[in-house]
Amino acid sequence: MQQNELDNQLSQIRDKLTGLDRKADNRVFLPCEAENVHEVCRFLFSDLGLRFVISTGIDAEDCFEVLHHFSNDESGCLVTVKAFVRNRESPELDSITPLIPGAEWIEREMHDLLGIKFRNHPNLERLILADDWPEGVYPLRKEVQA
Amino acid sequence: MDWKLWALKKSIWVFHVNTGACNNCDIEIVNLLTPKFDVERFGIKLVGSPRHADALLVTGGGTRQAAIRLREVYRQTAKPCVVFCMGACACGMGIFEKGYHMAGPVDSIIREVDPNAIIAYVPGCPPKPQAMIMGVVRALAALQPKEKYATERVGQPVVADPR
Repeated sequence: MQQNELDNQLSQIRDKLTGLDRKADNRVFLPCEAENVHEVCRFLFSDLGLRFVISTGIDAEDCFEVLHHFSNDESGCLVTVKAFVRNRESPELDSITPLIPGAEWIEREMHDLLGIKFRNHPNLERLILADDWPEGVYPLRKEVQA
Repeated sequence: MDWKLWALKKSIWVFHVNTGACNNCDIEIVNLLTPKFDVERFGIKLVGSPRHADALLVTGGGTRQAAIRLREVYRQTAKPCVVFCMGACACGMGIFEKGYHMAGPVDSIIREVDPNAIIAYVPGCPPKPQAMIMGVVRALAALQPKEKYATERVGQPVVADPR
């Protein structure tokens, strides 16, 4: 799939997005609200056949941002779905693991470090924190001091 | 000279413990063991079990998860056991000093188990193989004048799990 073709395809999910940032020729950001992230990822992964690369979780003070990165290997374009999780008290987001099994561990890691709960995740257990780490302390949140 | 110490110095068997290193120090340790530096000519040999080891080669800053394992590995070694802190992280946690996941540095983790542990430091990121060899030579030389002290320690109890 070439670049202009990808652009045309992305217009199909325009109503699920809150914008479309084109940072460079090969870098596209798709900001969306938390409830649409599963649908947008399903479209990119299943319909367009993009490759899932990795996810990123960020504590942006007023909300959490979960970024799912997809790659279009033919054109070398990176497409990032940027989901805003606005509820800081109990952050929740739909898991994309039922759709993309490769996302299981990175979602567990984000759950460990930021405390974001992924709905419908098959196995949201502790992954990388030490066994004696206290429950309910999320080290990469802004309020946690080292 | 005490025959036990004399024998020990002729064949130091080492066990390698990675407590969260980035692998850079570990690669240099592999370099030590392969033909270019070949520490086996000094009788230094890598073994697969801490129970066979006379020395621990510790790399990495000592993460919270690894600290428990490091204490257990130290308890299992034959005493006297020389602990070599290889690299900047093992000596003083390096750039990870303020990290939430750190329990180190390595010397304080070891001293929780054995306050009198013999610990040698080889700083560097990573230390050169020559520096590591020099560290081993210095540590062995330091054992010499206090050989009585070092061998008397064999009978000393190692404190049980401090937690």
